[in-house]
Amino acid sequence: MAVTTRLTWNEEKGLQRLLGNVSLSLLYKSSVHGCSIKDMLERCTLQGSTVTVIYLDKIIIGAFILGHYPQEDRDFEKQTSSFHFLFKKNTTEITTAFLNTAPKITSEELTFYSSGYNKIFSLTPHKCHFFLATLLAKILKVRPGVFGYLECEVFRVEGIKDDGGYIRRITGATERRSTLLAELRNYKPYADLVSEIHILLLGPVGSGKSSFINSVKSVFRGHMTRQAAVGSDITSITELYRIYSIKDGKDGTSLPFMLCDTMGLDEKEGVGLCVDDIPHILKGCMPDRYHFNPQKPITSRHPNFTSPSLGDRIHCVAYVLDINCINNLTSEMVVKLKQVKEEVLNSGVAQVALLTKVENYHEVLQDNFLNMKKSVTSQSQIMEVQKILNIPIYNILLVDNYASDWEPDPLKDILILSVLKQMLQAVDDYLEDLPPQRTDEVARVSQLSICD
Amino acid sequence: MAVTTRLTWMQEKKLQNYLGEKQFSLLYKASVRAISAKDLLQTCYNQGPTITVIYSFDRILGAYIQENYHENKPVRITLLVLEGTEISRCEIGPRLPHCFYCSWYDRNKISNFLIDLSEKTVKMSLGTIKELKLPENQKISFQECEVFRCEDLLDTRKMKGVTELRESLLSAIRTYKPYRDLVHQVRILLLGPTGAGKSSFFNSVKSVFRGCVTHQVLVGSGTTGTSEQYRTYSVKAENDGSPLPFMLCDSMGLSEEGGLCMDDIHHILKGHVPDRYQFDCMKPITQTNSNYIKFPLLKDRIHCVAFVFDANSIENLSNEMVTKIRRARRETIKCGVVPLVLLTCVDSMDLIRRGDIIDIYRCTPVKLKMEAVHRELGFALSDIFVVCNYTSEWALDPIKDVLNLSALRQLLWVADDFLEDLPPEEIDLKWIPFARPVRLSEFSVTP
Repeated sequence: MAVTTRLTWNEEKGLQRLLGNVSLSLLYKSSVHGCSIKDMLERCTLQGSTVTVIYLDKIIIGAFILGHYPQEDRDFEKQTSSFHFLFKKNTTEITTAFLNTAPKITSEELTFYSSGYNKIFSLTPHKCHFFLATLLAKILKVRPGVFGYLECEVFRVEGIKDDGGYIRRITGATERRSTLLAELRNYKPYADLVSEIHILLLGPVGSGKSSFINSVKSVFRGHMTRQAAVGSDITSITELYRIYSIKDGKDGTSLPFMLCDTMGLDEKEGVGLCVDDIPHILKGCMPDRYHFNPQKPITSRHPNFTSPSLGDRIHCVAYVLDINCINNLTSEMVVKLKQVKEEVLNSGVAQVALLTKVENYHEVLQDNFLNMKKSVTSQSQIMEVQKILNIPIYNILLVDNYASDWEPDPLKDILILSVLKQMLQAVDDYLEDLPPQRTDEVARVSQLSICD
Repeated sequence: MAVTTRLTWMQEKKLQNYLGEKQFSLLYKASVRAISAKDLLQTCYNQGPTITVIYSFDRILGAYIQENYHENKPVRITLLVLEGTEISRCEIGPRLPHCFYCSWYDRNKISNFLIDLSEKTVKMSLGTIKELKLPENQKISFQECEVFRCEDLLDTRKMKGVTELRESLLSAIRTYKPYRDLVHQVRILLLGPTGAGKSSFFNSVKSVFRGCVTHQVLVGSGTTGTSEQYRTYSVKAENDGSPLPFMLCDSMGLSEEGGLCMDDIHHILKGHVPDRYQFDCMKPITQTNSNYIKFPLLKDRIHCVAFVFDANSIENLSNEMVTKIRRARRETIKCGVVPLVLLTCVDSMDLIRRGDIIDIYRCTPVKLKMEAVHRELGFALSDIFVVCNYTSEWALDPIKDVLNLSALRQLLWVADDFLEDLPPEEIDLKWIPFARPVRLSEFSVTP
C-alpha cells in the first residue's frame, strides 16, 4: 500500500497556507504503519514540529505541536505551543483554536492537557477513537465527547518559525484580519468634519509609495490589484499626481479615505518631486493626474489648478522610506527630507513615517496584534527616522508591501491594515485638535462640497 | 535543531530526476536522531521506495531501494554517487535490509556495502568502488546520513486536485465581467521580443477553452517573428459558441533591428490600429493610413498589457533590447496600463520536469529567472507570472492549463484595475468618439 496522505491536494495546500507556507512530510499513516502508540512513536519522535491529523467521515481534526513529539511517559517540561484545528471535507476554510495545552504520551494515549491539568483533546490510536472536551469543541463548533475516527496521519512541518508567539499569531491572524477590516469599513472621520480623509505619501524614488497603495487596495479587493505602476527604473515610475480611492470589493462602495501618490523625491535638484509643489498639494490645489515637472512647481495659471478647498486638502502626510536604506541615506537626501518636513510643518497636518520592505514583517506586532514589539521599536532604523524627521515613535509605522509575491498572507494584511488604522487615528487627533474657527471652516467647506 | 535536508535544490532535483520524477520525504536525519541501526530500519520499514543519502565532503552517496521492505524480505539496492552534476551507479543484493547496516558484532564483517552509523563510515568492496568510480579507499567517512521516502512527483491525488483547480479557474474566467460592464471584452496586448512565445500563448489559451490543442496562429522560430500583422483574436466558449470576455492582441515582435516600431505602441494602446494591419518596421502608422481608426471607442483600446519573455534568454538580452523593453514599459504606464510579465519556456529549462510545474514558483532556477527579469527590466516580482505554452503536444495537459489560466485571471484583474481607474471623461468614450469635439447641444435633453 502506498504511503500517501488522505488529504486532498487542495486541503493540503490550505493547511500549508495556514501554517505560513510550510512544507509537510508524511511520517506516519496508521493504515500502513500500524495502529499502536509504539508504531506512531517509532516514526514521529525527534522529527521537529508536527501536525497529527485524524480523519472522520466529513471532517478532519488536527493538532499542531511545536518542537519534537513528547516522549513516552515523560511529563512535559514546559507548555509547548500546540493548537488545534478543524476543517470540513472539500473546503479550505479552517477553524483554529489556540489553547495553552501541553501534550503527553502514555502507552495508550496522546493527550493534550490544559494548564489546569484538564484533558482537552486525546487520541487512543489502538482503538481509533478520540476525545474532545467541551472547551475545545465549543471553539471548533462541534459536539464534545468520544468518537471514532477512520485514520490518523502525522506530518513533519518544515519551514515554520520555532517561536511560540508566531504560532499564536498565525492562529489568530484570520480573526484579527476580519476585525480590522470591519473597523476600517465603518470608519468615519472625527465628528464628521470632512467626508473624506486624504493621506499624502512622500518619499524617495522606489521607497514603495505606489506599492503601499496597491497593497491597501489589494487587501480590500481580496486579490492582488495593480493600479499604481510599480517597479524600478532610473527615474520615478510615478510621474503623475494621483488620488486613489479605495473600493471595498469589486464594484463596491468607496471607503472614506484616499491615498495620494506623488513622484519620488530625488537627492539631486531638478530631479524628482519639486519641493515647491508640496504646499500646493497640501492645500488641495493640485488636480488628479497632474504631470509633475521636476524643474518647475505648479502655478495658479495651470488650467486645472483647483482653488484651495479644505475638502480636498491633505489631512495626513506619510513619509515613506525603505527600512533597509535608512542607515545609508545620503546627506543630500536628508537635507531634502528636512526641507519637505519644513513645508509640511507649516501646514500643521498630521504626520507619520511609513517604513517599508520590512523583511521580518510577521514579527513586528505583539502576539495580540495590538502594538508593535519593544524589540522592533528600539531598532536603530527607527531611532534614525525619529532623529531625521522628529516624529514620535508611535507614529513610525512598519509595513511590508505586496511587491515580491502575490499570494495572500493574513499576517501581511494585518500589518497593512494596522498601519492604515494608525494613520486614520493620527488624522482624527489632528481634526480634534483643530482650533474652533478652523473647524467651522472645515465644516462649512465640507457642507458646501456636499451641496455641490 | 531543524529537521531539514542538507541536499541543495539542485542535488535533490538531480537525484529525483535520475530515479524518474520522484519527490523526497525526509524520514530520518542522523544528526538530529542518533539511534541504532535497528531503530533506523524500524522507521524505514513499510514506507515504500526509500533512498539513504550519505554526505561525504563534496560527494553524495545514495542507496536506493525500490521495493517496499521489511525485516524478512531481501531487497536489491542501487548505489549512486553524485559528484558535481555527474551520477554513477552500481547494483548490489538482494540481501536482507539489516545487512546494509553494521552493528557492534559484525564490524569486521566483509561486505560489499556497509554503513556504520556510530563510526560514521561506509565500507565498500573494491569491486563496488571501481564500478562507482570512487578513489580506492575502502572506508569512506561521512558527516551526515539521511533517509527519504521516494514518492511519485505526480500522483493521482495531485492530478485530481489540479483538474479541480482547472475547472474552477475556467468557470471564473468564463463568468468574468469587466468592471461595471464598461466593455464587453477586455483587450490584452502581448508585447515582447521576436520568438518569445506571444502567439504560442494565444494558441495555448485558445486550446484550453476549445478543449483540444489548436495552432490557429502559425508559430515560427525564424529570426523574424511570423506575426507581422496586428491581429486581435477572440476566443469562443466551447459549449455555446459565445465569445469569452477577453481578446488577445498579437503584435509584431520587438527586435534590435526592425521589429515593431516603438512609436506604434502608443497607437495600439489607444486603439488606433485596426485588426490585420500590416506593420512596417521602418515607419509607424499615421493618421493618413486608410485603415487608421481615428475615433477609437473605449472597447477598441488596450486594457491590459503582457510582456512575454523566454525564460532561457532573459540574461542574454542585448542592451538595445533592454532599452526598447524599458521604453515600451514606460509607454504602457503612461497610457494608464500596468504591464505584467509572462515568462515562457520554463518547462524546457534544465532539471525542470512536468511535475514541477504544479509548484513552479518554488523552484529555485525559476525564482532566479524572475529575479533576473526584476533586475534587468525593472518589473516588480509580483507582476511576473510563469506560463507553459503548447509547443509540441497533441493533447491538453491540465497542469499547463492551470498555470496559463492563473496568469490569464491576473491579466483580467489588471484590466479591471485599468477600467476602474479611468478618468470620468474617458469612460464616456463608450458613447462618444475619441477626440471629436462635442457640442453640448448633442446631449441636451431639454427641448
